[in-house]
Amino acid sequence: MNTAIRRRSAYVCRSCTQSLQRQLRRTYASATAQPDIYDVVCVGGGPAGLSLLTALRANPVTAHLRIALVEAQDLAKTKSWKLPPNKFSNRCSSLTPSSASFLDQIGAWSHLERDRVQAYQEMQVWDGVTGARIEFDWAPGAAPAAGTTIAYMNENLNLTSGLLKRIEELGGVSVFDNAKVEKIAYGEETEDVDLREWPVVHLSGGKQLSARLLVGADGANSPVRSFAGIEARGWDYNRHGVVATLEMEGEGWGGEHLKTAYQRFLPTGPVAMLPLPGNHCTLVWSTTPTNASRLKSLSAKDFIATVNAAFRLSPTDLEYMHTQESGQAEEYSWRLEHTPLDYRTIPQTAVGVQEGTVASFPLKLRHADTYIAERVALVGDAAHTIHPLAGQGLNQGQGDVQSLAKAIEYAVGHGQDIGVTMALEPYASERYAANHLLLGVCDKLHKLYSVGSGPLVPLRSVGLNAVNALGPLKSFFMNQAAGNGIKVF
Amino acid sequence: MRSSLRHAPKAFRTARPVACGAIGAPWLQHTRRQPPSRKLSTTTPTYHNPSSPTSSSVNETEISHFSALASSWWDPHGPSRPLHLMNPLRHDFIQACLSAPSTTSPTTPQPDPNALRYLDVGCGGGIFAESAARLPTTASVTAIDPSPTILTVARAHAKRDPSLGGGKLTYLSETIESLALPAAPADRFDVVSVFEVVEHVDYPAAFLDRVGEFVRPGGWLVLSTIARTWTSWLTTNLVAEDILGVVPKGTHDWYKYINEEELRAHFAGKGGVWGTPRAMGVVFVPGFGWKEVRGSEKIGNYFLGVQRVG
Amino acid sequence: MEVTLRRTAAAIARNNNGLRPAAAALTAAPSSRHFSLSSLTRPPPNYPGHVPLTRIEKAALAIGSGLMSLRDPRRGDLIAAFAEATATPYFIYRLRDAMLASPTGRRILRDRPRITSTSLNLPHLRSLPPGSVGRTYVAWLDREGVSPDTRSAVRYIDDAECAYVMQRYRECHDFYHALTGLPVVREGEVALKAFEFANTLLPMTGLSVFAAATLKRSERKRFGDIYLPWALRNGLRAAEVINVYWEEQLERDVGELRRELGVEPPPDLRDIRKREREERRRRKEEQAARDGGV
Repeated sequence: MNTAIRRRSAYVCRSCTQSLQRQLRRTYASATAQPDIYDVVCVGGGPAGLSLLTALRANPVTAHLRIALVEAQDLAKTKSWKLPPNKFSNRCSSLTPSSASFLDQIGAWSHLERDRVQAYQEMQVWDGVTGARIEFDWAPGAAPAAGTTIAYMNENLNLTSGLLKRIEELGGVSVFDNAKVEKIAYGEETEDVDLREWPVVHLSGGKQLSARLLVGADGANSPVRSFAGIEARGWDYNRHGVVATLEMEGEGWGGEHLKTAYQRFLPTGPVAMLPLPGNHCTLVWSTTPTNASRLKSLSAKDFIATVNAAFRLSPTDLEYMHTQESGQAEEYSWRLEHTPLDYRTIPQTAVGVQEGTVASFPLKLRHADTYIAERVALVGDAAHTIHPLAGQGLNQGQGDVQSLAKAIEYAVGHGQDIGVTMALEPYASERYAANHLLLGVCDKLHKLYSVGSGPLVPLRSVGLNAVNALGPLKSFFMNQAAGNGIKVF
Repeated sequence: MRSSLRHAPKAFRTARPVACGAIGAPWLQHTRRQPPSRKLSTTTPTYHNPSSPTSSSVNETEISHFSALASSWWDPHGPSRPLHLMNPLRHDFIQACLSAPSTTSPTTPQPDPNALRYLDVGCGGGIFAESAARLPTTASVTAIDPSPTILTVARAHAKRDPSLGGGKLTYLSETIESLALPAAPADRFDVVSVFEVVEHVDYPAAFLDRVGEFVRPGGWLVLSTIARTWTSWLTTNLVAEDILGVVPKGTHDWYKYINEEELRAHFAGKGGVWGTPRAMGVVFVPGFGWKEVRGSEKIGNYFLGVQRVG
Repeated sequence: MEVTLRRTAAAIARNNNGLRPAAAALTAAPSSRHFSLSSLTRPPPNYPGHVPLTRIEKAALAIGSGLMSLRDPRRGDLIAAFAEATATPYFIYRLRDAMLASPTGRRILRDRPRITSTSLNLPHLRSLPPGSVGRTYVAWLDREGVSPDTRSAVRYIDDAECAYVMQRYRECHDFYHALTGLPVVREGEVALKAFEFANTLLPMTGLSVFAAATLKRSERKRFGDIYLPWALRNGLRAAEVINVYWEEQLERDVGELRRELGVEPPPDLRDIRKREREERRRRKEEQAARDGGV
């Protein structure tokens, strides 16, 4: 497709921009600053925004676009992020193999610190009330050709840092970090150009960026979304996600090369123990705000005991332990004597929690009414916020970015204005239904397992046991989770 | 009725609105008139001399009809939506033509694939012209349309995109007859596009002859139109206009549709000036858009590209 | 197809509820155990006196002991066996969880105190002020001529902790008499069982209420009018009485404890019976007087 040549000439040619700026200076001599014209202005330097810019820069068809990144934080700090090999950040996400292969395709995967990324091959998911269980494990010789990895656990900072390194390697992105978006407004009409439909991002300090396409990768409270007048609907779960980096008694029952993710559905919400390299794990525990603040107030010893209890003891015991101000360790060791366990089906015992890693955040479901408007596209959390129980939040964002980058590539290759809804429609139609389905599935799962007693409890256990017993159905779910199968989610 | 159509953005008016509205008329007229090769071989053009700028291929009713659409031309959900959706396929087809092995003599200089010069005839609001001008491989786009009203819309819209400034895209209120023909063949155009136009002109053979003169040797004449078949009558007239209303009523006059074989015969009859035409049939799938369907050039909408070899 | 099917899932589902002692779950092959037991392969007991039974054996025990004890309600051993056989798989766990949900209940489970004539200092209880829990309790023992040692040991509940819960329930039974003031006569016993059923949901207590069918007609009417509504209302409304650490409540005023637990005292059955006897006698005398007068 003559890509080598396409790269040569800029979408907004430099001379046009310059002449435009001269023109603007002449027209508004009194104005303090004139907008710089960009093809893509991305607000938000999180995983979704950075992946989008990397994808655009890495693709020869879109590499000539003028791109600006606006981020409130200091990206130099993020880029140079470094932790000792035995310390891990508490904000980790699972990356499905399809997300990982996308990151590889845009050249970012190799910029991640790979020895900090942990693949896992099996999952144990069970009902904390009835004990009904589904075990995602591969039979010998039955592993799909695409690999047995269900997902990769990775620190979010490792991803953003790697993406920033890749963007630096590719070059060509005007980065405005430590920058506050003061307002977003529409442009003006001059003798030569009519930018009345172009969003202009006003930064603190007077800098103005005119956007052919303004990308909102600016999180759940997206200012870009507000600017576009797009409603995000949903509800709060009245739950908090408690995260922590834990040190375990060992590398896991399967050793270094066969790691397992564990998730138990408690009536207050699911608790997950996800493997990190070595004998480390990351905890994601969805629970009530009261329990969450109690957990954060506990001593390390009592916190660890409560975490171990969360995977072992009955919901009744846990409920009691949540009421204790301290002494969970002692309570746990007594109850453990009276609790039968199959040790191979639960995570190893946590023996330590890394200092300062216990934190929590409120859980909510939000879905924007649409992902696109004239000259606006929303990606990632700006478009949707999901319950973390399936570990899909970041992957949904990667799916968005991959789709939007494809739509932009197609538009550029066919001479479309990448900001118009006509060019963005394929993105919205490809992602909206898929995300909506996944949001709904996770929401229903949360609600189903929030029930502590009643007729739903045995029913859901029958369902889970049935899926566990039906090999083909289970392997379908596993392939889904691993992103190998037919795309449903 | 007609005046209300004129004001409604969805309404096209046509030279013979009665003919398409009345079911059964095509059947009668088809048998009465000379079928398939009528349009291109039997019609006498009103002009023979290219230097006569006053004669015109343009049908006045058609002009006022499309002018009435001007305001909604760029509304992605308006009546021109099918055209917007089709536009990327035009580029795919042009790409396919340009990358096909050239059939010119080895001595003929070939167009520079990275600095292509386009002439878009009947550009309307500029859907194709703008997109062609945005391509990095484009050196210039000259877009002509006889309707000043529509060109006002086209120019205003182009102003919304700074990348279209700087003289890369030029709109001219001209007919192909009035447009000055560059004297040197090499100064003529690499790609001359005539999209969804030939079914709206009164004398397509003469029109295509005139258009063809603007193609430089080695360059391509690319057009799109609709085959005159039962299917196309059903889909473009009865279903699209009368029943579903996705295309403004009166947009198409089925009798003006031209079949692919008629075009092939037309170009073959020009004494080796043109190479062998390429064709691509496309089908509109509601809810999805346009889709290439092999063989459908014999049935409904299709693209046809032909390289000027002499 | 591509994944192994683990047959243990259902078994783990049962075991993982945290109900059986770890030792049992780990030593026994979970899925085959219930169907292949014979006296030869019977697993070792989980606690002294434990008799591990298969499901079928438990069902047989439940039906057999239930029928026998209906025929002869004085067979305390059969009632006990029936209680144990019907308490699993659900009800005893619910009661245990009710204890685990309460700080005092948890303390009882940890300490596992037993109530016997030696664990309680009966002479000391007799010296407590009238109206105290201990004095009321011992007065009951003395008045009814029963001893705390007459309770049979739990044998058929597999989980050691649940077996203790059943044991505790039994041993506390006499305290419930003290708490409610219901006598050990059949009518009082049935009323207390109804209270216990509403409070503990143990099936045996509920089925015992059917013993009301064997009451005299007037007693049955009184039971239906006064005691059954009282028992159900109070049993449901009161705190779980299994969570009372009786050993620590001996010196407290019984009325205060009742209020704390939300139990209102029922009309004194002995008083009522006495009044009714007197009423009958008076009517008889009046009748006789009238007859004499004619």
